[in-house]
Amino acid sequence: MLDLNVLLQIAWTSLATSTYYVLFAIAFALTLKVAQVWNFVQAGIMGIAFYAMFAAMRGWGWPHAAGFAFGLAIAVAASVASEVWGYRVLRRRRSPPLLLFIFAIVVAEFIAYALSLVFGTEPQSLTASMTAEIYLVGGVAISSWDLGALAWTALACGMLYAYLQFTRQGQFLHAVADNGELAELYGISANRAYLIAMAIAAALVSVGVYLYGTRASMIPNAPLELMLLAVIATILGGIGSVVGAGLAAVFLSLLQSASILVIPSQWQSSLIYLVLFIVILFFPRGFRLPAFLGGR
Amino acid sequence: MEYLYTVLILVGIYTILASSFNLIIGFGGLISIAHPIFFALAAYCSAILNMRMGVPIPLAIVAGTLFATAMSVMLSLPSLRVSGDYLLIASLGFQLGFVEVIKNIEFAGAASGLTGIESLYSGPLRSPAFAATVGLLAIAVVWLVHRLTHGEYGRAIQAMRDDEECFASLGRNAMAIKITIFAVGSGLAGLAGALYAHYFQFLSPEQFGITQSALILTMVVVGGMGTTAGPVVGALLLTALPQAITFLNLPVAVMAPLQGMLYTGLVLLFVFLRPAGLMARRARR
Repeated sequence: MLDLNVLLQIAWTSLATSTYYVLFAIAFALTLKVAQVWNFVQAGIMGIAFYAMFAAMRGWGWPHAAGFAFGLAIAVAASVASEVWGYRVLRRRRSPPLLLFIFAIVVAEFIAYALSLVFGTEPQSLTASMTAEIYLVGGVAISSWDLGALAWTALACGMLYAYLQFTRQGQFLHAVADNGELAELYGISANRAYLIAMAIAAALVSVGVYLYGTRASMIPNAPLELMLLAVIATILGGIGSVVGAGLAAVFLSLLQSASILVIPSQWQSSLIYLVLFIVILFFPRGFRLPAFLGGR
Repeated sequence: MEYLYTVLILVGIYTILASSFNLIIGFGGLISIAHPIFFALAAYCSAILNMRMGVPIPLAIVAGTLFATAMSVMLSLPSLRVSGDYLLIASLGFQLGFVEVIKNIEFAGAASGLTGIESLYSGPLRSPAFAATVGLLAIAVVWLVHRLTHGEYGRAIQAMRDDEECFASLGRNAMAIKITIFAVGSGLAGLAGALYAHYFQFLSPEQFGITQSALILTMVVVGGMGTTAGPVVGALLLTALPQAITFLNLPVAVMAPLQGMLYTGLVLLFVFLRPAGLMARRARR
């Protein structure tokens, strides 16, 4: 029997779970908007960030802040490397989109295999215990992890918004995203913009992976499947809209959690693939947001 | 000797898979990576028809192949409306989603896999007979792909791939060509799948995942996309090469990722050093 508390609990839990999906989605949408690449390398970057944090926190016993900073630094460096020695080279050669895609997906897989070789395929998490303090608010259980995740996600999104809207470099990213060739004529370096977008995406992904790793376990192959939700959110939110991708990620997380009410739990993970099909076939350009939310 | 026959059978099956994938991605320019799903559909269909309904194996193989073809048409009718990146993302979703679905279907063995599949041949000559059958079918598939892509129809395929708008403006139906090559390519992948099921006699969803997509893609890229001989060379090279690693007697936990790194590393090398593949120069002559 459904009651309001159950619905509120599902809504709250899916909102908290959506935090890392939001970060993955806006990272993916940002690189697609600025660099015009479906950056599946991001899955590899997620794996690198997670296992770097895992090695630092669980292996070497570093405090969480230091472990996070280490993972973030490694992830940013790897993302920048993929841009400089990968995408930039292929772009310079005017390689067809297929080759760019093959590069992206194969790098992600290569990293997953390398991580399997080094860390094995056993599920790993960033904390020894994944229990969190629980508060009951009007019959809804709210954990300290939920509150922390929402606060970190809000902070990361706020910083990204401020950077894109109020700094000169952020405006350069908009200019390159709109028309890279024209931006170059005005003296804006498109290559620098791509590099910054990749670095920001890696930073967002690192925060997301940290949140994920303190709540669930990770295996080297998991990032590619986690990425798929980011891809669907990016399409659903409207290509070119970073805000739209973030909102779509919240919606998808809510949909996936709420589906438990109508379909058996073992089919829950399949639902997201069904949504992907519907979105690609019927809404290939996504939904348009109002202009003040980043829509056009 | 049994081991050698198994390697030869794998080379034959992967030649069919890589050649049929090359028809779709190399000649047709349709960026889909869901090829292993049609391999899986026919494998499961053929095995289940034979195991649960008593359909004779040769008939089950034909039925499995036709089933994969029909499913590919059903998928392509809506999804080929979108192209390029969208088709690619749709195929990725289809690939991951289908594996997820198989994991939950009990009569197909679910996540633990389907065991007890009957072999096409039995007795002491099982493996040589199977190797000969697969070898002949692989040659037939390569010939069929070559015929399809090197006549008048082949020129139409290339024109459609190179400039679809221009092709359509000449009054030609690009969609019909796309659906045809997608269906033929997927059907041939289905044939490989049905043969696979009735030789190895075990199917599990993990065999048809994204790793399989990467392997087939590697064969096509390394051999040379859009060439007839390329996928054959790719299949031969990439089936034989990992066998060398197996002789190192490494633990499975080390060998599996090492093989994966070998495949993906090779693709990366070719993407940067020889993007047209090994057989590219020969194809241009």
